[in-house]
Amino acid sequence: MSPHTKLLASMSLLLGTIITTSSNHWMMAWTGLEINTLAIIPLISKSHHPRAIEATIKYFLVQAAASALLLFSSMINAWSSGQWDIPQMNHPMPCLLMTTAIAMKLGLVPFHFWFPEVLQGTSLITALLLSTLMKLPPLTLLLLTSHSLNPTLLTIMAISSTALGGWMGLNQTQTRKILAFSSISHLGWMTIILLYYPKLTLLTFYLYTMMTAAVFLTLNTTKTLSLKTMMTAWTKAPMLNTTLMLTLLSLAGLPPLTGFLPKWLILQELTNQELTPLATATAMLSLLGLFFYLRLAYHSTITLPPNSTTHMNLWHTNNPTNTIIASLTSTSTLLLPLSPMILASI
Amino acid sequence: MALTITWLNSAYLRGRCCRQKVLHPLLGPLLSDSMSKLYSSYRRPGSQPEKKRSWQNTDFSFKKGIDVLKTQLSMLKKETEDYIIGPGGHPLSHYLLEQTRVLWEFRSQEDLKKWVISSDVEIGGKSEVYLKLGRNNQAALLYGTLNTEVPRDGETKYSGYCSMRAKPPVGSFARKKYYDWSNFNSLYLRVRGDGRPWMVNIYTDPYFSHQKDDLYNYFMFTRGGPYWEEIKIPFSKFFLSSRGRVQDDQHPIWLDKISTLGFTIGDKVDGPFQLEIDFIGLLNDRAHTEEFAYETYEKNPPV
Repeated sequence: MSPHTKLLASMSLLLGTIITTSSNHWMMAWTGLEINTLAIIPLISKSHHPRAIEATIKYFLVQAAASALLLFSSMINAWSSGQWDIPQMNHPMPCLLMTTAIAMKLGLVPFHFWFPEVLQGTSLITALLLSTLMKLPPLTLLLLTSHSLNPTLLTIMAISSTALGGWMGLNQTQTRKILAFSSISHLGWMTIILLYYPKLTLLTFYLYTMMTAAVFLTLNTTKTLSLKTMMTAWTKAPMLNTTLMLTLLSLAGLPPLTGFLPKWLILQELTNQELTPLATATAMLSLLGLFFYLRLAYHSTITLPPNSTTHMNLWHTNNPTNTIIASLTSTSTLLLPLSPMILASI
Repeated sequence: MALTITWLNSAYLRGRCCRQKVLHPLLGPLLSDSMSKLYSSYRRPGSQPEKKRSWQNTDFSFKKGIDVLKTQLSMLKKETEDYIIGPGGHPLSHYLLEQTRVLWEFRSQEDLKKWVISSDVEIGGKSEVYLKLGRNNQAALLYGTLNTEVPRDGETKYSGYCSMRAKPPVGSFARKKYYDWSNFNSLYLRVRGDGRPWMVNIYTDPYFSHQKDDLYNYFMFTRGGPYWEEIKIPFSKFFLSSRGRVQDDQHPIWLDKISTLGFTIGDKVDGPFQLEIDFIGLLNDRAHTEEFAYETYEKNPPV
């Protein structure tokens, strides 16, 4: 891709995100979301492969429909309350519509069907952008309006996201789809605590971004697009394979890794709010993801899949490992002992 | 139910007699059948004349509906059980250790039913193609005669092709399913041909209809001898074509969503042809390291 196009697209992405996260007016928020949608389209369709084009069309259709619904809900709110302030969304109907629109943008169940397909059609770095940066503006809008959202809808979406994210990730053989379902599952966790302690949603999002970035960048270094490649990735970069497994287990929420911190705090807060059955259900459903990651770790790191000695030597030189992967991996696996400091600062 | 059929029939007859007068510009499509063309009755030479309307073929029997529902629910139950076991119905360890897989083998009439044969008869040509089980039920025999005589309809320029295509995989309640061949990198065919070149086509049923003619092709040159051949075609050799035209912008085939496989003969030579296929399988050839055999269209590809 031409460097000018890449620069334009990445700057537009940043612009869109900043506009939405710093806006007070619904129009500006919508503008930022639309800029984001349009800016990421050339990045998704960069390779011109039919699957990439398919992913681009699906992404555009869903996001455009969600933006239109968001604008519609803000217009109804303006019509009934006379103002366009984002935190002042008080009427139930526009609130419901807005929640639905943001759920479509984020990929919460039942609007999650586009997410694995879009992630599968793009390159790993664009998939990383889609999973992390593109989730920030809609999540900001949810956080700003969290006091007036419908608890029933949010709880249903959160529980089903956690369930479906774990259940559908079980038999995937493509790494990008696995990470898509892990994203859906994490979104479920973020949504469930939104009404009671929004700062935990933000903490979960930050930690999730860190861990996902570590995983995606590691996969990009070893060019692991399917499980078959993952099994022989140990020959290309053995240490990276081990740290990948640890980061995946951290994503699944296994103590004593970092990923356990948001889950623990969310379960604690839910129990404090007398929502113990909800906490139990969410914890049990995240076991599905953990099962899958453990199975993957066992097969790829602990056992030795069949291979030949010449299979691993690719004719072109390996990319040197990015130093950022080291810092991201260390923070995504070793941050749990620092939890008192994190708790004090949020 | 009988009333509905009578009403539909009478509406259709009424529609037919009024068609010339164009009395119902809005209700016309409702009263006439969707397959009939309002302003012309041209029918392609190879297609059969329409005797029965599509809705007249429906069988409204309740018992049959219950049987179909039972079959579909049992298929759904089996799919759920397979899902719990692992990818493709086998445990994950089986998937990871797999290096070969047999996709289609021809040992009984049931196996033949999974394939569809077609030839240029559908555009008005004169080629013939038949599929039957070979000797001792050990292989499938695809045989026939190729005839390159062009049908005289004023618009066709070329003719003479025969093909055999696998039926796409179908899940419960007629949902589309796909094959996941991402674990493998070559196609493995055990065939005995007659020296004629064949083309292997892979169709990856895309989501949007503007890509529905995309096909990945490669050639299979048969030897013709009395001995069986084992042909390995790596997936990196397949090139993209759309409606038969090779595209400029080439890219490797993605193996995680394959719909059908097909064989076509169209080598512009009149005469009989014969192909015996023992089985079609997949192979993960570890010695094959080529990612894609053709240059991609990028001006400055990353090295």
